[in-house]
Amino acid sequence: MRTVQYFAPESMQEAVDLLQQQGAGTRPLAGGTDLVVQMKEGSTRFPLLSSLVSLRRIQELRGVEFSEADGLRIGAGTTMAELAESATLRARFPAIVEGAGVVGSIQTMNMATVGGNLCNAAPSADTAPALLVYEADAIIVGPSGQRWLPLEKVFFAPGKTALSPYELLFELRALAPPAGTGSSYLRHTPRKRMDIAVVGVAALLTLGTGNLIQTARIALGAVAPMPIRAPQAEALLQGNMATEGLFRRAAAAAAEEAQPISDIRGSADFRRHLVRVMTERCLQVAARRARARDILWSD
Amino acid sequence: MAKQLISLQVNGDTYEVAVEPHWTLLETVRDELRLTGSKEGCGTGDCGACTMMVGGRLITSCLMLAPEAEGSAVLTIEGLSRDGDLHPIQQAFIDSGGVQCGFCTPGMIMAAKALLDRNPSPTLAQVREGLEGNLCRCTGYTKIYEAVLAAAQRTS
Amino acid sequence: MEQETVTRQGYRTVGKPVPRIDGVGKVTGRTLYTDDMVLPRMLHAKVLGSLHAHARISSIDATAARNHPGVEAVVTAAELPPHKKDPSNRRQVIFAEGEVLFCGQPVAAVLAGDPHVAEEALALISVEYEELPAVLDPLAAMKEDSPLVRSPLGEVDRSEERGHVTVNVEQEEAKGKASNTSGQISFTRGDVEAGFGEADRVVEGSWRSAMVHQSYIELHSTIADYDVAGELSVWTSTQGPFQIRDALCQALDLPQTKVRVTPMEVGGGFGGKIYLTELMVAALAMIVRRPVKYIMSRKEDLQAATPSPQVVVQLKAGMKGDGTLTAIQARLIYDCGAFPGAPMLPGCLLLGGYYRCANLGIQGYEVMTNKVSVGALRAPGTYNATFAIESAIEMLAAELGLDPLEARLKNVVEEGDPLPSGQPYPRIGARQCLEAIGDSAIWKERSESRKRPHTGVGLALGGWLGGLQPSTATVQLNGDGTISVIVGAADITGTNTSFAQIAAEELNVPLSMVNAATGDTKTAPYAGISAGSKTTFIVGRAVKAAAEQAREQILAIAANPLEAAPEELEMADGVVRVKGNEEKSLTFARIGTMSTAFAARYAPVMGTGTVAASKQAPGFTVQTAEVEVDPETGIVTVLRYAIAQDVGFAINPLSVAGQMQGGASQGLGVALSEEMQYDEKGRLLNPNLLDYRLPTTQDLPPIEAIIVEVPSEDGPYGARIVGEPSIVAGPAAVANAVADAIGTRVHEVPITPERVLRALGKW
Repeated sequence: MRTVQYFAPESMQEAVDLLQQQGAGTRPLAGGTDLVVQMKEGSTRFPLLSSLVSLRRIQELRGVEFSEADGLRIGAGTTMAELAESATLRARFPAIVEGAGVVGSIQTMNMATVGGNLCNAAPSADTAPALLVYEADAIIVGPSGQRWLPLEKVFFAPGKTALSPYELLFELRALAPPAGTGSSYLRHTPRKRMDIAVVGVAALLTLGTGNLIQTARIALGAVAPMPIRAPQAEALLQGNMATEGLFRRAAAAAAEEAQPISDIRGSADFRRHLVRVMTERCLQVAARRARARDILWSD
Repeated sequence: MAKQLISLQVNGDTYEVAVEPHWTLLETVRDELRLTGSKEGCGTGDCGACTMMVGGRLITSCLMLAPEAEGSAVLTIEGLSRDGDLHPIQQAFIDSGGVQCGFCTPGMIMAAKALLDRNPSPTLAQVREGLEGNLCRCTGYTKIYEAVLAAAQRTS
Repeated sequence: MEQETVTRQGYRTVGKPVPRIDGVGKVTGRTLYTDDMVLPRMLHAKVLGSLHAHARISSIDATAARNHPGVEAVVTAAELPPHKKDPSNRRQVIFAEGEVLFCGQPVAAVLAGDPHVAEEALALISVEYEELPAVLDPLAAMKEDSPLVRSPLGEVDRSEERGHVTVNVEQEEAKGKASNTSGQISFTRGDVEAGFGEADRVVEGSWRSAMVHQSYIELHSTIADYDVAGELSVWTSTQGPFQIRDALCQALDLPQTKVRVTPMEVGGGFGGKIYLTELMVAALAMIVRRPVKYIMSRKEDLQAATPSPQVVVQLKAGMKGDGTLTAIQARLIYDCGAFPGAPMLPGCLLLGGYYRCANLGIQGYEVMTNKVSVGALRAPGTYNATFAIESAIEMLAAELGLDPLEARLKNVVEEGDPLPSGQPYPRIGARQCLEAIGDSAIWKERSESRKRPHTGVGLALGGWLGGLQPSTATVQLNGDGTISVIVGAADITGTNTSFAQIAAEELNVPLSMVNAATGDTKTAPYAGISAGSKTTFIVGRAVKAAAEQAREQILAIAANPLEAAPEELEMADGVVRVKGNEEKSLTFARIGTMSTAFAARYAPVMGTGTVAASKQAPGFTVQTAEVEVDPETGIVTVLRYAIAQDVGFAINPLSVAGQMQGGASQGLGVALSEEMQYDEKGRLLNPNLLDYRLPTTQDLPPIEAIIVEVPSEDGPYGARIVGEPSIVAGPAAVANAVADAIGTRVHEVPITPERVLRALGKW
């Protein structure tokens, strides 16, 4: 690993100032579980890495808050373990808990942050599909202040985000899901833990009376250059009765929407197959949770 | 590049250490403090041999830069048996045959401690979950599971 | 979770479960491994590996690296001290010279006081390569028109292979036209065609096993120092200190008196830590005349250590309706990587050596490719061959409607039956292992298991012949009456604990009075490598003989003051007494003082045991798996697993069960998740423990160990080899269980989800 300068600001403003002052070659450091590995491997992603701005001491970056009126706020510096342990998320945003709860191992979860997971911009990021089905917004802080961007627009290529080098992801916001909403995140990995998603699928369903699907959202990880939504599959579901047969058709549509590649973790055919299988399963779980209505998720 | 002075609290002792900021907590504890019980098995957070507790949380110290640990209490394997008496988990690892080559053992025991700290009487499934970030190549884990379950019995 | 099947009357210490004597150091983190050591003025070495699988090196420019602040030296092949260079011997090719043969092959090293600086300087070395065609697949490499993997070799050095399995069979080295096939072996018996003619069913198939890595958690680690007196000291994580000493002396032309190899604690070896980087580190220390430490990174270890080979087995077998095996025909192709030395022989012997079969035709081919050269992994070369034969037996039994356990019992080898080489088996316990698994809960409950969806149970037999190598040991009485056992064998499996038990047994003292330790090559009595499962079997015999001798010496000393003949004396708990006269006694402490103090009249007590064993004590295992397969995602979950193994006599059942469970878990890794994946350029795509998937706790259920004891003729107390057989049956047992669960067979390990789905024809 090459030597660097290290800064540990205590506020967002200070951090953004440092990113600007230090200029090219400066990287924000969150949990370190991706960045430190890349530094050790001498990644070509940032050959001139010269300074690190640690985000660890910025209190305003941490925490999960929720109210029915204001919705959900997740600080980008919140760790996976904190997300997975959050009673609020468990009750109202189960897919997020499931996404955060499978990242690496216990050790990884204690270090890795949701901001790091998203800004590393791996197509397989486990928190991304779950946040996408809640249509989360990213609040980004930079030299010219704050801007809001739908999370979907944050990713644009493997390892690349819409953030400029002087910007930081500050927090994620999502509306409170209406009653009758259920969600789920499932991923496929060869090992039970300590693995990277070969395919990740998140689904959200809001069911009205008579089992009618009011809202359907599906997001896919590791099957495109970035985490994506599956709009055609969603359209098939929207406004129809939630039945096993419909879920199967939607799952097939999602498989068509995936644009997987073949790599060491799996072939494109395998991934497409998994999208179908897992989307169907994910919809079933989401529907079960949606039907449970006011019963909080406990399984 | 100039070294910077940081203050680390390790196993209850405070150390002022001059580090290069890119040194990991593992390197710093091993090479500067000469506490060599924590091991490097992969350097990428995938094996758990370097597992320590920082601020009460289990972490892989090969992925934490040393300055990041400033201000948090660091616990390593050396901090478990301070006055010559083995911690019950350590004794259980010996008695149950949970130790073979010993290289994963310090990290594994730290993971076991973190598990028992939050769940003093885990089920087998919870033990398997609690140790998921720590690879052992010698034992097939069976005797490690037995050791952790036995330690839970002894301490509760 | 283990059960014992033999009573152990008459013994006080051996046969009892005993915690390891080195446990406290390990659980407290105090045990020193090589990387924990720092020597004065020590430099750190970092190694530049080849970027290409096959290329000519046109030039190396290290000027910038040499000028980098903090760098003490940059060494390429051109700067190495004179040493023997046999191009067939991977260890003697310290840095590539002219031609690189695999990705990651060392090309140069940088030495610096700060390891980060050394690593940084690697990037400043510029190597110009002229790429050559890389041959990666062994079947392609065997073709007549294949490009050559490397310039043709002369004689092939196979010294290390012999330490693992000792069989009196010579393999044919490649002769004639240059080809990538570097060795061949052939065994025939009877008439294979006639055998197939007699069969009621014949099955045929091809089985492939991936290249896998031993994946010891401690990386290859070595420190060397060379002093002004021309003495070389090496501290290293090794299973074979004397092997290294001998190899270094041969390569560097040093007398064996001038080299001290200190075997440090080994953080896992499994066959992969015999001898690899020591000559390089010694050469670097000779150049700078300072201590040099080299610790491989995980990436380097995966790319450029000595993993276990990829093997393709093409097999045809026939069986009669009554279950009699009539013929086995097989071609085994071992991919040895860029240097010869694949463990082909044991695989060929055991493929045809599990069952009585009148007609055999077995051919082994060792084929070079432009990948890292291979080494030993626990019963090297054997799980691969077993995967094929044990799948085929299962297929035959299924087609003939026979019970798979009964079909095996019908044919399984026993004492006197010949191996394919013609050599008869000594007493063995393969049948008893089959019977033990037949009695296991998993097997007995299999009809219940199979009622659950996509759940199946399978079993497989495996075995290992074991190595032979002379060894010696000493047992001394200390001045305070305690006992010291000293051996030269590296303790990789708890053998020193067993040696202490043996000495305690023979001297009838509590185990707490005995210590056993491994010395270095200047101080310890000679021992062979701790490989081939032979350490307790052979060195244990030497310890037993040494303890018996020490006992005689103690009695001889005591006889005089006790005024009795030695045969009138007995010893217990560190006291020598006259039989039938409790009053007349002497403690070991007194005898120790009488033989060590100033002006003492008696010579010190030191028993020596030396052994050259000629007869092996093969170990067999039978394993059974209960698995659940998700037919939509292809995920295989091992629900329950049991291993039965004949260990002859379990001197320490705690460590024996640990060896069985550990080996079984490695077999499960081979079966389900481990695979070194290369791209079309021969670059390793998964050089880390995230994508090279060792089983985690979440993947492995507790493994039931069933200890079977069919005493060997020669081992101490009947003990036989233990460490290696446990890996052998796993891949086949899991494959058979998966086939039972889904009705389709996967012919390639690891049985990944994608392979399961392909076998099911999902797309």
